[in-house]
Amino acid sequence: MVASTVCDTPSEGEFKLQSVGNEGFLDRHNSQIFAEGRSFSGNERDKLFLNRGDGTFADISDLSGCDSPGDGRGVICADLDDDGDLDLFVHEIQRERHHLYRNNLGGKFIKVRLVATSGQHEAIGATVIIHGPEGPVAQPLTRGAGFVSCQAPELVFGLGTADSGTIEVVWPGGAKEDFGTIKANSRVLLTEGSGQATNFAARPRPLPDPLPKGLLLRIGDTLPALGMLDAQGELAILDPIALADGGELWINMWGKSCVPCIKEMPLLSEHDKSADLRVVLLCTDPPQHRAQAAPIAAKRATGLADFYLGAEPRDVAAPPENYIDLLRLPIPTTLRISAEGKLLGVIRGTVPPH
Amino acid sequence: MRDPQPLPLLAATALLLVGCSGSEDPASAGAQAKQDFTPIAAPSNPMTDLELVEDRTEEVADRLLSFSAVLVKQDFETAQAWFADDFQGMGFAGLLVSSETTQLQGVVSRDFDVSRAPIVNKAGLIASWEETFGKWGQVSSVIWKVKGAEFQQGGRPSGRIKLYLHATGILPDGTMQSFAAWGWARVKRVGDWVIDRLEFTSYNFKTLSQAPYVEVTSAAGVGHTFARFGSDQNRSFHFNGAAAGDVDGDGDWDLFVPSDERNFLYIAQPDGTYTEEAVQRAVDQPDDGTGAVFLDYDNDGDQDLFVAQVGWAFEDDRGGHHCALYTNDGTGKFTHASELAGLGSPFVAYSPTVFDFDGDGWLDIFLSCYGMVEREHNNSWFQATNGYPNALLRNLGEGKGFEDVATKLGMAGSRWSYASAAADIDLDGDPDLYVANDYGDNEFWINAGDGTFEQQSDARGVTDRGNGMGVSFGDLNQDGRLDLYVSNMSSTAGNRILDRLEDSIDQETYLVLRKLAAGNSIFFQEQDGNLKRLPKNAGGVGASWAWSANLADLNLDGRLDIFCTNGFVTGNLAFDT
Repeated sequence: MVASTVCDTPSEGEFKLQSVGNEGFLDRHNSQIFAEGRSFSGNERDKLFLNRGDGTFADISDLSGCDSPGDGRGVICADLDDDGDLDLFVHEIQRERHHLYRNNLGGKFIKVRLVATSGQHEAIGATVIIHGPEGPVAQPLTRGAGFVSCQAPELVFGLGTADSGTIEVVWPGGAKEDFGTIKANSRVLLTEGSGQATNFAARPRPLPDPLPKGLLLRIGDTLPALGMLDAQGELAILDPIALADGGELWINMWGKSCVPCIKEMPLLSEHDKSADLRVVLLCTDPPQHRAQAAPIAAKRATGLADFYLGAEPRDVAAPPENYIDLLRLPIPTTLRISAEGKLLGVIRGTVPPH
Repeated sequence: MRDPQPLPLLAATALLLVGCSGSEDPASAGAQAKQDFTPIAAPSNPMTDLELVEDRTEEVADRLLSFSAVLVKQDFETAQAWFADDFQGMGFAGLLVSSETTQLQGVVSRDFDVSRAPIVNKAGLIASWEETFGKWGQVSSVIWKVKGAEFQQGGRPSGRIKLYLHATGILPDGTMQSFAAWGWARVKRVGDWVIDRLEFTSYNFKTLSQAPYVEVTSAAGVGHTFARFGSDQNRSFHFNGAAAGDVDGDGDWDLFVPSDERNFLYIAQPDGTYTEEAVQRAVDQPDDGTGAVFLDYDNDGDQDLFVAQVGWAFEDDRGGHHCALYTNDGTGKFTHASELAGLGSPFVAYSPTVFDFDGDGWLDIFLSCYGMVEREHNNSWFQATNGYPNALLRNLGEGKGFEDVATKLGMAGSRWSYASAAADIDLDGDPDLYVANDYGDNEFWINAGDGTFEQQSDARGVTDRGNGMGVSFGDLNQDGRLDLYVSNMSSTAGNRILDRLEDSIDQETYLVLRKLAAGNSIFFQEQDGNLKRLPKNAGGVGASWAWSANLADLNLDGRLDIFCTNGFVTGNLAFDT
């Protein structure tokens, strides 16, 4: 349903929603409502229901890690990294519109691709049935189902604890074909009429680990020299390549009210004593708090260079906000930078002792 | 506000959040004896004017939504303004566990004994909330929903509301947390509405040590930030979807994402990231496509791309686009076949579905067409007949384009169609088609095998009157037969209103409206081929404004699960319906 259509009066003689409330709201045109920033059936989240196996389903959306509140529309469910489990790509209507969720569960699987020979070769409309640990499970090969969504031409079947499953295909045209028993973690190409499954090669391409919210860099991106202030408020350039000095550089982002940040400072000083590791601090507090933050760093993070926000003029080096949205970044977060100034990785939360 | 990551050592204590320590009173300053507390009673002289009751309910609901926003920010000081100074009620801490179960996927569920909940005053209530939720490293969402309300006639506005409380978050060690409680609150308007009594009827925490999914959007290079929905740049109701396919023939799944100002084509890279190549591969325009599908349209062995468009505005020269077919040259470079037969007419197309309905070896496309929402409204809430005709684009073969045969086959109709799905439900060798319609009955077109269809939704018991948004097939009960999942809407406001209306409108209308507000549907296919609706209490259907459902084995346990996108429009203000 589209809200604009809720906002006018339906034809005479019909039950009118307006008459049972919401009149002030529904009479106003939707575009005005949404321009104002109001919600309509908003603050809902995408849903994940797990099959209990007894004809009932458990709602684990809250705990799923993929229950975005951004008003999802289309969704792709495919094994994007070829590790056997199904990842999700969701298109939403709100600001951050594209979302990719990596499945972390793993497990035993059979992946099936089809080639039809009697009809169109893609075998769209075929039904594949795998007899596995929970009974026979059927899946259709579709292109275009759900809402504005098209799945990849591959079916993934879970096997639970079983080591194999037997496969049967009902091809477009109605021919049923048995492909026998297939071992767990197989990727098989089933060609109509062959009666035999052939394995196709795995193409693992592990999806990356998540980056913290607010970090605008990707792994491998170069972090240029940033225009910052030192503890005294003088201009100080945070130049990753110079600071790394041929080794690795850690840029630890902290704030004066962040207890874990302050607690880990002595450890950061220890790390800085390693031969090939330099550590610097980047305080994420607004410029007016520098005077309160700097003494904390001086006391707790002895020997470390510390940098603060508020550098002017802006043209002496890159502004940090082009690379890190400091208001959204959870702290502590530590960026690992190579000797060449490239982002190697991110330590989320406190740093490890070694 | 920045989001500090608290010390990991808090994780251990946070697991003991509620009820695990009866001796440890979190809110001793605010605690009172249980016997002082009188259960919240219904108003002695309730208001009867339904419109006034609903207006008042909306005020309270809006007020609680803004409260939810404060709680997400863990702003306990501001939170005090939502409670009366003489507040008295159950606190959020110090409850005892009444039952603990380990459920599917390792979810640990703990119910708490509300009959012995400590009674606290305002300071104690805030302290108990902080005690319970302040230790979450991240509060992802908090919702206080009004599920029912009654108000006192006359005097200072006051009443009793039925509340659903829900919160989700993550502990610093990554443990997922979810809280849900039902209860009653007494509210009164003192300037703003405030709560002066609070009582739980159920209280549950769930935890899961590791989330099944983690978001890797920005790390993988598929992040796209656009304007808020409702702003000038982003106000189209032509909702955009996504399609997966192997564009360049390397064996990896690439992602095509139609969007408002241009399309995106994310090409999978060996290192697990994506590069966006819509411009280089010539699929960036036209923009504002709705659904898209990959298919080998010309049977030359590569994946071509079809993008549906809402194009009715051609008729009066107000913009809009034709549906687009992009042919692949075999390397993943596309050509927009703009003059292709069959695509020169405007459609109001949302979800395309590919199938070879006539078995001629060339792939055809069914286009679910909606109404022209910018021009006219649905002429009925549950039997709308002014939707744009659906199209069935029969592939003419040899790359010669399409012919729309929907009218000829009697499938064009006038419903507001959002989506369809094709599968051989009766395993007779030809694809059948289910069409999900908004404001009306759905259609189930059974393929006769001779290139024609018969509409059998009533005969097969799957008409599912309601606000159909999407449809998927899959075997949800491990019997080897395909089942049916239909995405619909449900509505807290709608159900709340209907609760009050049952006695005041005729039963037929009441039942129709109740179905309209009921939500998603699952139909299991039985041995005789009939489809039977699964009772709602079996679960799997509780989304609110549902869109695309995907039936797939997400935890690889040998059973298909359900992922369903959900929610209409979430604004940046607290107000909602």
